[in-house]
Amino acid sequence: MARLGLWLRWSLRDLRARWLQVAAIAVVIGLGTGAYVGLSSSSAWRHDSAAASYQELASHDLRVDLAKGTTVDADRLRAALRATEHPGWIEATTVRLLVPVQVDASRDGEPLLVSGRLVGVQLDGPGGPAVDALWSRSGRALGPSDDGRPVVVLDDHFAAEHDLRGEQELTLGGSVAVTSVGSAISPEYFVVAGDGATAGFFGARTFATMWTSLATAQEVAGLPGAADQAGVLVAPGADVAAVQAELEAALAAALPDAAVTVTPLTEQREYRRIFDDIDGDQKLFDVFALLVLGGAAFAAFNLVGRVVEAQRREIGIGMSLGVPRRSLAVRPLLFALEVSLAGVVLGVAVGWWFGTALAGLVERVLPTPVWDTAFQPAIYVRGVLLALALTFLAASWPVWRAVRVTPVEAIQVGPRATRGGGLAPLVSRLHLPGGSLGQMPVRDALRRPRRTLLTALAIAAAVGLLVGVLGILDSFVATVDAADVELSGTSPERVTATFESFEPADGPTVRAVGESAEVGRVAPFLRVGGELAAVDGRERFEALVDLLPLDDAVWRPGLVAGSYDHDRPGVLIAQKAANDLGVGVGDDVVLRHPVREGTGYRWEESALPVLGVHRDVYRGLVFMDLADASLMNLDGIVNAAQVAPVEGATHEDLQRSLFGLQGVAAVVPAGAFIEAVRSGFQQIMGVLQLVEVVALVLAVLIAFNSSSISSDERAREHATMVAFGVAPRTVVGLTMVESALVGAVATVIGLGLGAALLGWLIHVLLPSTLPDVQLDLAISPRTFLLAAGMGVVAVGLAPLLTLRRVRRMSVPDTLRAVE
Amino acid sequence: MAVISLDGVGRQFETSAGVVDALADVDLHVEEGELVVVLGPSGCGKTTLLNLVGALDAPTSGRLAVAGHDLTGISGGDLYRYRRHTVSFVFQNFNLFPGLTALENVRFGADVAGRRQGEAVAEEVLAKVGLAERATHFPAQLSGGEQQRVAIARALATGNPVLLADEPTGELDFHTGVQILGLLEAQAEAGRAVLVVTHNREISRMADRVVELSGGRVVSDGPPAGGRAPAGSLRW
Ligand SMILES: Nc1ncnc2c1ncn2[C@@H]1O[C@H](COP(=O)(O)OP(=O)(O)O)[C@@H](O)[C@H]1O
Ligand SMILES: [Mg+2]
Repeated sequence: MARLGLWLRWSLRDLRARWLQVAAIAVVIGLGTGAYVGLSSSSAWRHDSAAASYQELASHDLRVDLAKGTTVDADRLRAALRATEHPGWIEATTVRLLVPVQVDASRDGEPLLVSGRLVGVQLDGPGGPAVDALWSRSGRALGPSDDGRPVVVLDDHFAAEHDLRGEQELTLGGSVAVTSVGSAISPEYFVVAGDGATAGFFGARTFATMWTSLATAQEVAGLPGAADQAGVLVAPGADVAAVQAELEAALAAALPDAAVTVTPLTEQREYRRIFDDIDGDQKLFDVFALLVLGGAAFAAFNLVGRVVEAQRREIGIGMSLGVPRRSLAVRPLLFALEVSLAGVVLGVAVGWWFGTALAGLVERVLPTPVWDTAFQPAIYVRGVLLALALTFLAASWPVWRAVRVTPVEAIQVGPRATRGGGLAPLVSRLHLPGGSLGQMPVRDALRRPRRTLLTALAIAAAVGLLVGVLGILDSFVATVDAADVELSGTSPERVTATFESFEPADGPTVRAVGESAEVGRVAPFLRVGGELAAVDGRERFEALVDLLPLDDAVWRPGLVAGSYDHDRPGVLIAQKAANDLGVGVGDDVVLRHPVREGTGYRWEESALPVLGVHRDVYRGLVFMDLADASLMNLDGIVNAAQVAPVEGATHEDLQRSLFGLQGVAAVVPAGAFIEAVRSGFQQIMGVLQLVEVVALVLAVLIAFNSSSISSDERAREHATMVAFGVAPRTVVGLTMVESALVGAVATVIGLGLGAALLGWLIHVLLPSTLPDVQLDLAISPRTFLLAAGMGVVAVGLAPLLTLRRVRRMSVPDTLRAVE
Repeated sequence: MAVISLDGVGRQFETSAGVVDALADVDLHVEEGELVVVLGPSGCGKTTLLNLVGALDAPTSGRLAVAGHDLTGISGGDLYRYRRHTVSFVFQNFNLFPGLTALENVRFGADVAGRRQGEAVAEEVLAKVGLAERATHFPAQLSGGEQQRVAIARALATGNPVLLADEPTGELDFHTGVQILGLLEAQAEAGRAVLVVTHNREISRMADRVVELSGGRVVSDGPPAGGRAPAGSLRW
């Protein structure tokens, strides 16, 4: 025991003697551990927070929907909900009326005309409905006194996006004036909703959800007493599936003529998306977490290795005194353990910071009422143990190497202690300018090729991480730019006007649009929602199908393959869709689409050939020829129009002009789509920026530490130079050149690593996280410059930090110290 | 006029255990072309003395001048200029640059002193110490004696008038040590002032003059006891 005490004291003395380097290694390990635990714990608290948020707002467990476009009497619906076999299994219910509306939120001459939905709710809870409560984000909440009054609360996503928080005047359907008294978020709208077909495509900018009293909604819709949806909160302990069955039976009995579906919350798309997103993000985060941790472990290995190497002689002396290797390993291992421990302790703090920053980011993108970012002890313990094991193991290897040498090798001093020239002889015939001093940087770098390579690799890892991270950002930007170029195309100022209903291609709305001021060209088209699938049915995703007059469109998609010409109906699909479905031009795909039947629709699946592959980045965008609308039994029918302004007018002029036109539901500029793509990347970008900071700090710390250790190792050489009258700044200048050389090699390796990492991320990982978007690998010149700047300049400058030490070095003491 | 002159020089070190007088009241004068050996047991202050002359350290008392430079208050740029152009060192453990070849190590001396045709000077000096054929070898490929010869060549290549050698034979066997001292002696004969430190009394017999130190003080100064002995007559 007394022995162990000695080793412990000794190793602590080692720590103190090198406290600056130890601190730097600890920070490296801390950053790695912190990023790791911070990133890897995020899905746990995000899951918990999302679940708690649903609970907090008394989200329904089951939702009752009437067939689209139908309603029943609200009291009959309520009564039916109460008529289940076990009413005690139901804690509370609420009924609603959803009214599609056109929303005019223009202010101060800024036109804003979008599709929207007015949700009439029971005002029986503190801030609105008791079930599916509204979480107030600005202004005031709805209260019982608002019943029947023209007062609404806006969806906060939309309000925030358009700066419409607080009190606002809105016009619904062209004529109904309402006052928005605040903004709120409801559990069904944690993620931005759309109106079915376009859901998820256009995001928060172009769809406005509003809540009001049931009576107000009924009045706006002209449907007194009607309701078309209900939320059911199941009592604690009751089985949701059993309640669903009972509800289905009760509703069928009470409302035999209505088509009613009952859906559990857990099967609703919005709910699933939240949790799927969390899991998808986690995959990406885990990759970065492991990369950062791996880089840090490698750095720790490298740095501890060099510290241990400095103890080689002492180890050799111990050996020659007959101390067993096991015991000799104790001191450096203790040192490694202490460094790792200090690192992970720091890591817990970094992890907490990282987690908080991450939570802030996630919360900004997905605001929900409960953010329980509580410390996740289990995950932290796991992460910390992993980091500890990894860094300790990494640090142990050099220890093992050091105690494996023979004592003779270890204690060599004098003539042989200087060791071989490494790879330096390779360049001994290569004479660089600058006399003997000019040779030193290259020679010194090559003298210990293994060590130089390890240092370069550690820096390369950080550079690679940086390139990978920045590369994703570049790829996002490139994608958005590509989408921008493609979608703006020849008519960047065009708008898409969607109509309130279907009408003939020469119907009144089309005519009215054509006759409006500022309107240049009008191309009416048909937009329907659907699904695109592989013929074998294995891959399937949502689609937004635009049937354009391909030969006469204001804008039509650019093609990378195939052509617009065709003799039978076919589809133009995105490159990403073609890849995911494994098809090319001429192959068949399955399109699920509506077919008009009487006054309603039925769904049908048609096998259609791929006519062409278009350039859009969103895989769900499908284009067909309007002439093929017969496939849907909609010949000559349209529900939207591409509108180009007259020469010199802007999309804003158009919006203003089409504003309030009878039959127009929304006017959306072409650029709105780009905004949606952009905001889809927002969250990941934020996280990447965090990782970017970590990578930068890592690289600089690694560079600093290795030059600090180098400067220790070279103290004697430096002292000799100073004794011969070489100025400290020249001495440090030489190490800077050497460091920059190593940094340059590291940058080249790092760029390679980064490109490989980026390729993997873009082609393998991200497609499963962001399945809807086609990402093309891009590395911008800025990224190259930053990587080179960090790898060569920052690393090259790192030795400057040792200038003070060289200046203050006591030459006699340094030279006296017989190693 | 003496090239090296110390008058009443003292050097005190403040340590936690108190003040150590490493050197006290030392008077020493070395002429051009003279080889002076400083002799004394370990810890008597030899290295301290050499460091003062080499301007690696400064005296706490007394006056110290070398080749017309007053070192008592020297600082900054003058200090580095002095080291580059006036003195050159040979160390006990050689301190060659492991990344440079023998020739490049020698060339380093010529380069720092700012001599023209450093390459030619280096080749010439390396040949003078008998290592012309080892020019492209790295220090690790040389024996101790060869490394020390390279170190001496490096010091000579500076062309500086004062040569300081701290235990240059300490790491070497007796025979090689004698060879090395012979080389240094030749430098004195060529007109340099050479100050050599050793604890080996036998070797000191090669010198013109032996200054004996004890406890930081000069206890004797004069020709070696029993007269100057040729290298061949020295015995280990
Ligand atoms: N930097 C220092 N701090 C404290 N004491 C020192 C220092 N340098 C030398 N000394 C002391 O001065 C004395 C002379 O040292 P030194 O000149 O190295 O002796 P020598 O070279 O003759 O063996 C010794 O007692 C030594 O302990
Ligand atoms: Mg000494």
